[in-house]
Amino acid sequence: MLRTPLTAALLALALSACSPSDPLQKTSSALASGVLLPAYNHWLSADQQLAASSQAFCNANADLAATRLAWLNAQSAWSALQPLLVGPLSEGNRAWQVQFWPDKKNLVARQVEALLQSKTALTPADLDKASVVVQGLSASEYLLFDTNIDLTQAAQKNRYCPLLIAIGTHQQALASDILGQWQSADGMLAQLQSFPNTRYADSQEAITDLLRTQVTGLEGMKKKLGTPLGRQSKGQPQPFQAEAWRSNASLSNLSASLNAAEQLWLGSQADGLRSLLSSQQGELANRIDNAYQNSRLQLAAQQKSLSQLLADDAGRQQLNALYDSLNTLHRLHESELAKALGIQLGFNANDGD
Amino acid sequence: MNRRNFLGLAGLSLGTLAAAAAFSGWTLSRQSRQTLLLSARNDADGRHLAVGYRLDGTQVFSTQVSERCHDVVAHPSLPLALFVGRRPSTQSYLIDCRDGRLVQTLHSPIDRHFYGHAVFHHSGDWLYSTENDTRDPGRGVLGVYRLQDGQLQRHSELSTHGIGPHQLLWLPDGETLVVANGGIRTEADSREALNLDAMESSLVLMDRDGRLLSKEQLAAQQMNSIRHLAVAADGTVVSGQQYQGGPSDSAALLAIKRPGQPLQAFPLADGQRQAMQQYCASLAIHDELRLLALTAPRGNRLFIWDLDSAAVRLDVPLADCAGVGAVPEGFVVSSGTGRCRLYDCRSPQVIATALQLPAGLWDNHLRLS
Repeated sequence: MLRTPLTAALLALALSACSPSDPLQKTSSALASGVLLPAYNHWLSADQQLAASSQAFCNANADLAATRLAWLNAQSAWSALQPLLVGPLSEGNRAWQVQFWPDKKNLVARQVEALLQSKTALTPADLDKASVVVQGLSASEYLLFDTNIDLTQAAQKNRYCPLLIAIGTHQQALASDILGQWQSADGMLAQLQSFPNTRYADSQEAITDLLRTQVTGLEGMKKKLGTPLGRQSKGQPQPFQAEAWRSNASLSNLSASLNAAEQLWLGSQADGLRSLLSSQQGELANRIDNAYQNSRLQLAAQQKSLSQLLADDAGRQQLNALYDSLNTLHRLHESELAKALGIQLGFNANDGD
Repeated sequence: MNRRNFLGLAGLSLGTLAAAAAFSGWTLSRQSRQTLLLSARNDADGRHLAVGYRLDGTQVFSTQVSERCHDVVAHPSLPLALFVGRRPSTQSYLIDCRDGRLVQTLHSPIDRHFYGHAVFHHSGDWLYSTENDTRDPGRGVLGVYRLQDGQLQRHSELSTHGIGPHQLLWLPDGETLVVANGGIRTEADSREALNLDAMESSLVLMDRDGRLLSKEQLAAQQMNSIRHLAVAADGTVVSGQQYQGGPSDSAALLAIKRPGQPLQAFPLADGQRQAMQQYCASLAIHDELRLLALTAPRGNRLFIWDLDSAAVRLDVPLADCAGVGAVPEGFVVSSGTGRCRLYDCRSPQVIATALQLPAGLWDNHLRLS
C-alpha cells in the first residue's frame, strides 16, 4: 500500500533494483508477505488465544466450550500451515511438537497418563523436557475432548489442568519463536524475497521449495483421509487412525489445508503460482482452478463428521470421491504444474537407497 | 546452528552477485577447477544420464543410459568410470570420461542384480560390486569382475556375510573391504522390503579374497539399516543409516568406527537427529580438514562435523540434497531440485557458493576425480 510519496519512491527504488523484473522473485515475495506470513501470524494468535483460554478455564473464568473452541481454532490454524511448511517450522522436530499424528498406538493417551502419574504438579518447564507426544495439540485434544475425561469434574480438572496450561504455554512459545525466525534479518521472510541468501541461491530455488511444500501438503491431505478410510490397510476403515478424531475436526482440518493450498496457487492479489503460467498455459490453469473448486465443494457438502461417514457404505463412497478429487489435485501439481513451471521436485528424498 | 557465523550467500550486493555469477569459477582453486564431477542425473523428461562436469560448469560428457544409476566408481589410472545400476538394475555402464563414450554395458549374471555401489581395486584390474542373490532374496554377494582389454568380465563372487548389502569401500590398505549390509531382503524386479520385522543389518570388514574379518551390528536397533559409508585416511569408518521404524523413534542414524574400536553411535544433538527424518543419504570425509559431511534429503539438510571432536561445523537447509564429495576447499554438494554448491570450510566460517552447474536432477551420489 502506497501511503506516502516517500514509500512510493522507496518502492520504485526497490523495484528498479531487481530489474530486469524476475517473475519468480515477484511471486515468491508476494506469496511470502501475502499468504505465508499472514498464515503464520494467524497461527500465533490462535495459539495465544488457546493459552489464554486454557488459563481462564482452569481459573474458572471460562467454560469448557470456550476452550474447546479455542482449541479448534488453533488446530485449524495449524492445518492451514500444512501446505505452507517451508522453513523453520518444517525443521528439526518442531512439527512433531505441534501435533503427534499418525498415532497408531494411541501413544498420546498413554504418554499423557504416564506423565501425570510421574508429575503430579507439572510445570511448563517439565513439559518442555517431555516427549513431543505430550507437548502439542494432540495431547490437549485428548484432555479437552476424550470421552474418558470430564474436565467439568473438579478432581479431573485438578489433575489435567496443569498439563492443559503447560501445553498452551509451550505452543504459544513455539509459535512466537517461529514468527521470530520468519521476521528476523535474513529470516524466512527475507529469504523468500531477496536472493541469493543462506537458504536459496536464486528465486527458482524458492519457488521450487514453495511448490514442493504445497505438493507435500496435498499428499498429506490424501494420507489424512486415506488412512482412516483404510486405503493402506486393505479397505478396512480405521476411524481411530484419523487425525483429530476425538474432536471430530478431521474434515474441517482438511478444509483449512485446502484453502491454504488454494491461496498459494492464487496468491492474495492474483500473484500466486498461477500467475507464473503463461497465457498459452491457461488450459492447465483452468483445470487446476476446477480441481480446487471440486474438492472445495465436496468438502463443503459434508454435513456429517468423518467418523459418521466412515460408518456406512454411502458415507465411505462420498469420502472415496473426495479422496479421488484430492488425488487429482495432487497429481496436477506434482506432475503438470511442476513441468509447466520447469520445476524439479526432486527424487532423492523418496529414493529409499 | 551457527547460522549467524555462516555468511553463506547472503549479504552480497547485486553487483557482487553478478560478479559471483560470472566468476564463480574463480573461487575454486586451480586443482578444483580441473576436478571432474561424475554423477548419475536425469533430464527433465525423466531420461537417465551419466554425466561428467568440471566444477566451473564445463560439461565434459552427458551420455544417455537406459537405466537409472546410483554411485559412480572411477578407475584409479585409466579415464574410465563405471556408473553402477541402481537396485534392482541388472546393468551398469562403463564410460570413457574423456568423451562420454559408452565403452561397455555390464550385465549382472542371471539371478543377480546390482545394488548401486562398487569399487575398483587400486591395481585397476579388479572391480567389486554389491549384488543380490535373487534365488535367496537378500543374500549379499560381491560380484568380482576383471578388467581386461578395456572390458569388465565376471570372474567370481564372494559373500558379503550379510543381507542386502549396499555401499562398500576400501580401508586405507587398499586390500580390506568395509561393506554396509543394509539387512533388508528384496526380490528381483522389486524394491519392496520383505523382512522389516526381521532385519539383520551389519558392518562387515573382509579381505578381498572373501574372508570375514569382523561383523558388527548397531546395538538394540534391529530396524536400523546401515547403508552408506565414508573412510578416512587413518582408517576411521563412518556409516549413515536409514531407520525403518517409527518417525519419532530415537535411532543411531550416524555411527563411527575409529581404528581398533567398535562401531558406535556418532554423537548427535536430538534436534539434529530429528532433522534427518530417519534417513541419511551420502557421506564424505575431508582428510586434510578432518571433517565429515552428510546429506539428509528427507530433512532437506546438510551437516558438516569435525570428525575428531564431533563438533558441528555446519547445519543448514538444502532442498533434496544428494551427492557430496571433498575438494581442497571443503565439500561440493549436489541437489535433486536446486543448484550445486561449494562449501568452503578452510576458515571457521563456512562459506557457500552456488556453482555454475545445471540445477536439479542430480542423483544420490557424486564422485570427484
